[in-house]
Amino acid sequence: MIKRILTFQPSWTLRLISGTIAVVAFISMCLLTGAVDLNGAMAERGQEFTGRNIEAGAKVYYEQCARCHGAKGEGADGLGPALSYDGFLGKWDAAKKTLGPSERLKKIGWTSSLAGYVEAVVASGMPVKSSAVWEAPHPPFALAFGGPLREDQVKNVAAFVLNWGPGQVAPVATMPEPGAAGGAAAAVALTANQEKGKQVFLGAAGCQACHAIRGVATGAIGPSLNKLATTADARIKDAAYKGTAKTGAEYIKEAIVNPNVFVVAECPQGACLANVMPSTFGQTLQAADLDALLDYLSTLK
Amino acid sequence: MAIIGKRLVDQVRATGLKATIAQRLDEGFTRLTSGLTWNDVRGVLRGDPPGKPNNRVKPHTEAFWFHIRPTFYHEAVTTLYPTFRLGFMSALFFAIEIITGIFLMIFYTPSPERAYQNMLDILTNVPFGQLVRDMHRLGAEVMVVVVTLHMWRTFATGSYKAPRQFTWFTGVILLIVTMFLSFSGYLLPWDQLALWAVTIGTSMADAAPVVGPSVNLLLRGAPDIGAGGLLRFYLFHVVLFPLIGVIFMAVHYYKVVRYGISLPPEMEAVGDDSARKVAPDKRVNFMPDILSNELIYAAIAIALLTIASGTFYNAALETHSNPLVTPNHTVAPWYFYWLQGLIKIPHILPVLPEALSKQFDTIVFNLSGITPKILWGIIIGPVIPLLLMVIPYIDPNPSRRYGDRKVALTLGVLFELGILYLSLAGIPTGVPVTRFGFVGGDPASEIAQEFMPDEGVAEVKRVPWDQLPVGTWEIVPPAEAPNAPEFNALLKKIQQDMDHRTETADPNGKKLVDGKANVRIKLIQPDVKEFTLTISFTDDKGQPQQYSKTNYLHKASGYDKE
Repeated sequence: MIKRILTFQPSWTLRLISGTIAVVAFISMCLLTGAVDLNGAMAERGQEFTGRNIEAGAKVYYEQCARCHGAKGEGADGLGPALSYDGFLGKWDAAKKTLGPSERLKKIGWTSSLAGYVEAVVASGMPVKSSAVWEAPHPPFALAFGGPLREDQVKNVAAFVLNWGPGQVAPVATMPEPGAAGGAAAAVALTANQEKGKQVFLGAAGCQACHAIRGVATGAIGPSLNKLATTADARIKDAAYKGTAKTGAEYIKEAIVNPNVFVVAECPQGACLANVMPSTFGQTLQAADLDALLDYLSTLK
Repeated sequence: MAIIGKRLVDQVRATGLKATIAQRLDEGFTRLTSGLTWNDVRGVLRGDPPGKPNNRVKPHTEAFWFHIRPTFYHEAVTTLYPTFRLGFMSALFFAIEIITGIFLMIFYTPSPERAYQNMLDILTNVPFGQLVRDMHRLGAEVMVVVVTLHMWRTFATGSYKAPRQFTWFTGVILLIVTMFLSFSGYLLPWDQLALWAVTIGTSMADAAPVVGPSVNLLLRGAPDIGAGGLLRFYLFHVVLFPLIGVIFMAVHYYKVVRYGISLPPEMEAVGDDSARKVAPDKRVNFMPDILSNELIYAAIAIALLTIASGTFYNAALETHSNPLVTPNHTVAPWYFYWLQGLIKIPHILPVLPEALSKQFDTIVFNLSGITPKILWGIIIGPVIPLLLMVIPYIDPNPSRRYGDRKVALTLGVLFELGILYLSLAGIPTGVPVTRFGFVGGDPASEIAQEFMPDEGVAEVKRVPWDQLPVGTWEIVPPAEAPNAPEFNALLKKIQQDMDHRTETADPNGKKLVDGKANVRIKLIQPDVKEFTLTISFTDDKGQPQQYSKTNYLHKASGYDKE
């Protein structure tokens, strides 16, 4: 058997037959290519890679963007607007049930596509100021503008953001229409004591490192303190609340001096964890400073 | 024109119109074939015996493509043994690579900004782009195999001996060119596989003594591979190495014409070479027999390559290259595994017991400044190729017979076994049994790596998207999710793997202690799920540790097809 294989030599008949088969097979393959749905196959492969690019975009989003825009693109008050709600840049055309032309982009004078706008914002920061609400400018993320992302990563993360369907999550911080009144920054005039409290917030106590207040601070470790006074009033009525506070002001004080009594769920990076907020402010802050701080925080309605 | 016209008119008058047209057509045909008339070619195709004088040798003397082929072979070398057609197959695959390569070049730009997008375009927007890319990639790997086998065949039959020493020499160069061609093409897709395989490959050059770092810098164009490195590898791949390959192939082929193909060793007296002294009745003419044989073999090879590329073979394309993230368990291309295994050898004399071998290292190091890395660098760099090249010049044995070459053949087999062993040592799992070459982190990260590697497709990605149930699922003991058999099977497999790693220690002596794990699946977009595997365990110091890894999975990404 082995010897037969080793001494194998195709006979003329075999050569003629296989040669004919080869020629016929080649011609019929050429003809058959017309019958193959080449465009369909390529489109399918295209969808696969679009999907994989969105996966790569998701990775970038959770490394770079979720901090300010939220894990579900719901936004974070004082940090970044929601991306996944119906009105995001006017992308969802409810009537046509499709990604429609963006009215908002027209109003702010952006004439290119929505995807182009998102890519431009990710890459170079806010190219056109689209709203008066967000004081913190969008930072540039592309390598070309001093950020950490390559061109393909910018494109992928934009594709991921635009992949959010409508009505997926309730937005936390939406973006008002251009020209609409908005923003809490200039709202309340502060008393001297409250002004002192604000300086404690920004300085001695170091609260701003972890907490955001619209127009004041952009910390993204702990929950946003926008509308804190309002939130506090609601919190003490919450069934899950375990502390001893009876009023909103007491709740805020308790949350500062004894933060582990009740840990809320709304941190920018998911549920808040116990022991992240230092429990030593009761000892380290002077009574007058704590008072001023509480006075200031009570203005956030 | 007038003269030709007049002659034509004369010819028509003399022989008639039909005969004139036939004669003129045949004349043109003869020019195209460099000396064969239509009747000669018909005879070749029909397998007729050649006439006397043999008209069919004319193309061998007149035309370029046939002048690099012999006019006849000895009939003993036209069977499958002794050549196995490996030389012809090497040349054939070289041609296939050039043709498919030119097709791919049309759609490719060697720049970090464009290259990966070009690859996506080739796969999704160019008709037959994926087929041609698969053929190019598979053809390159098959070519490495074929060329290596060709060398082994030549060694086994002793065909490198006089007068074919220089043919062998050029053959070694062609082997190196083949490997470098294949390796330089690795970088061009600019994905993670490309970047890190080539980073490892070029860092091996770094181990070469004295010139190593400079060579590495010259290859990469910068301390790390970037735009400069990509352009250099592109130019190596499409200009330099093909050029060297063509030049040495020409020499190689000329030597075959000059000396013929050596007969099977047992057919010749020791020291004889009778490939060009063939009795007329033993001759097999190139035309028609060899030519038609080769056409059939070529047709079969191309058909197999096309079918394999069109069906099961899919050239991988991983995520875009990222110099900041090294994927776990990165390896060089498989034909360089042995190099990777070689530089894992920790001591100059690894066969001695550990303590002795360390002492030996210290003595040698103090005396000469040699370290294992430099030593292996010398062996990797110049010694192995040089050794191969000089084999025919230092082999004292004139006989080509297997029985007379026991030492040479044994050394050859041992060399091959050594390469095989080192190749196994080059991959992260190491050699079976001895576990030499094993590379692994703590068991938890290894489990995650096994089921959801940093790059490439493994079991997690193969579970159909619809069968990934949202929620948190315990693995010890495995939870049962409704309507998700493949997901449940995956949980069981992870549990089995954890059990295995709890019971048996890896070569580093590490076991999984108190292993607990769960899988959390979140729907983050209507068609994107987040898959997180979290493994908690107790580390060497008795501290509780947690390891988790996340994959994002899109509904349409189609991993199950790979």
